[in-house]
Amino acid sequence: MEQTTLESIQFNEEIQGIMAPASETANSFTALLELPPTQVVELLHSPEITGKPPKPYPLTCDTGNLTFPSNTTARFSVLAGENKNSPEVKDEVPETEGGGCVSDPTIENKKSKGAKRKEREKKVKVSSKKIKSIGDENSGNGGDELPYVHVRVRRGQATDSHSLAERARREKINARMKLLQELVPGCNKISGTALVLDKIINHVQSLQHEVEILSMKLAAVNPIIDSNLESILATEGLSLMDSNFPATVAPVVWPETPHNGNRQQFQLPWQSDAFHQPLWGRGENNPNFMTPENSLLSYDSSANSVSLHSNQMKMEQ
Amino acid sequence: MRNLSSLKKEFLRKWIKGLRKYNSQKKNMNLLERKKAIKLSADLAMASTKDKTTLWRKALFANTSTKIDDEQDMSTTSSTPQKKVIRKNSTNSYPLRKRITGRRKILRRNHTKERVEASFIAMRLVKKRTRKLKSLLPGGKFMDDSCLVDETLDYIESLKAQVEVMRCLVTSSELFINQP
Repeated sequence: MEQTTLESIQFNEEIQGIMAPASETANSFTALLELPPTQVVELLHSPEITGKPPKPYPLTCDTGNLTFPSNTTARFSVLAGENKNSPEVKDEVPETEGGGCVSDPTIENKKSKGAKRKEREKKVKVSSKKIKSIGDENSGNGGDELPYVHVRVRRGQATDSHSLAERARREKINARMKLLQELVPGCNKISGTALVLDKIINHVQSLQHEVEILSMKLAAVNPIIDSNLESILATEGLSLMDSNFPATVAPVVWPETPHNGNRQQFQLPWQSDAFHQPLWGRGENNPNFMTPENSLLSYDSSANSVSLHSNQMKMEQ
Repeated sequence: MRNLSSLKKEFLRKWIKGLRKYNSQKKNMNLLERKKAIKLSADLAMASTKDKTTLWRKALFANTSTKIDDEQDMSTTSSTPQKKVIRKNSTNSYPLRKRITGRRKILRRNHTKERVEASFIAMRLVKKRTRKLKSLLPGGKFMDDSCLVDETLDYIESLKAQVEVMRCLVTSSELFINQP
């Protein structure tokens, strides 16, 4: 089982570590492909191949063992397993060492290239950040395999520094765009940058308009802003004289906690009319005077605030 | 993510501070002036909530400082604390990208051949939209793509908090008026 997974790794030509076996495997693999089809079929069908596996395979197995992170090996085992289970693959795929070495790669090569490519790209996407690894994994094109290049590269992509930097930058931007998509409602299903950006722009515009409208409303509602603020501050236990706000507001005050118990506490002191008198005694009859409980408990979502206020009105009566 | 309630708390506190200062200056403001004052104090409070020094906050401060300098009728005492902050921020050179907008326009005039491939069309669409987004965001002209996305994240979050707090204030005061 393990051998087969390692063979699949080798088949993907993402062998790290020792260069010689890597090149050898490539050679051997292409050699295998160049075999006349009959021979390959023979190899496929033979349940047991006791013949010696080609030289590089055990070497690649070793290197594969050493260098790959565990998740990728797991993936490849899955991959190998999948390919085994796929109907295209012969059922008699032998699990013996030699047969496994030879047949699996060929099977994969012949029948399930598409799935394989996806897997490979998936795997690369998983580890598409720059990883410090010995050796380059420029798979596929047999491109320049420079030692000690620290980047994992997808199949068929260039390896020069400019495109790498560009790709890193692009991936960074895409990651942030994903975050944005989660933040803006209704963006998750949309694929494609332009449409997502459209939604984001609409959202920002609508939020800005809301701010404008709300500030207009507030201006209309409160001819004098000052008094309301004082009431709010009083309820939050802050002195009006202080220009410096204390760093911590009592957490009980803030109505984020949905417990009704907290709210009961603050309703009691404010029910007496006596409390209202000093505030009314400022000499101005402000119809827009906000009652403390309203202010206190309104900093939830507006829906909650509406229900709360109706309750409080009843309680006051 | 960040704690939205703490953000709201901080915003409210600062906003009230600003509003009080505004109020102490002028007793009789008409509707528009009041609205401006409210909005401005809200924006400034929003911009100064966190320690994060994102670009749009600095740009907001800078814009308001220029506005204040231009319009002499705005009360100065309320803006002095913010002004000091603004001055501090302006001395720190935040990245003023070179203005490529003019150059871009010239380029487009000479650029006659437009490619029709799908990738180029898509690129053009995206570019259009990023330009639009940059125009929306305060200080967006000076940001590059990666920066832009970060800034919009931050901006959207703070705008949300601002809207929620203001909405609650409005509903509560309206309710009080209806049922005194």
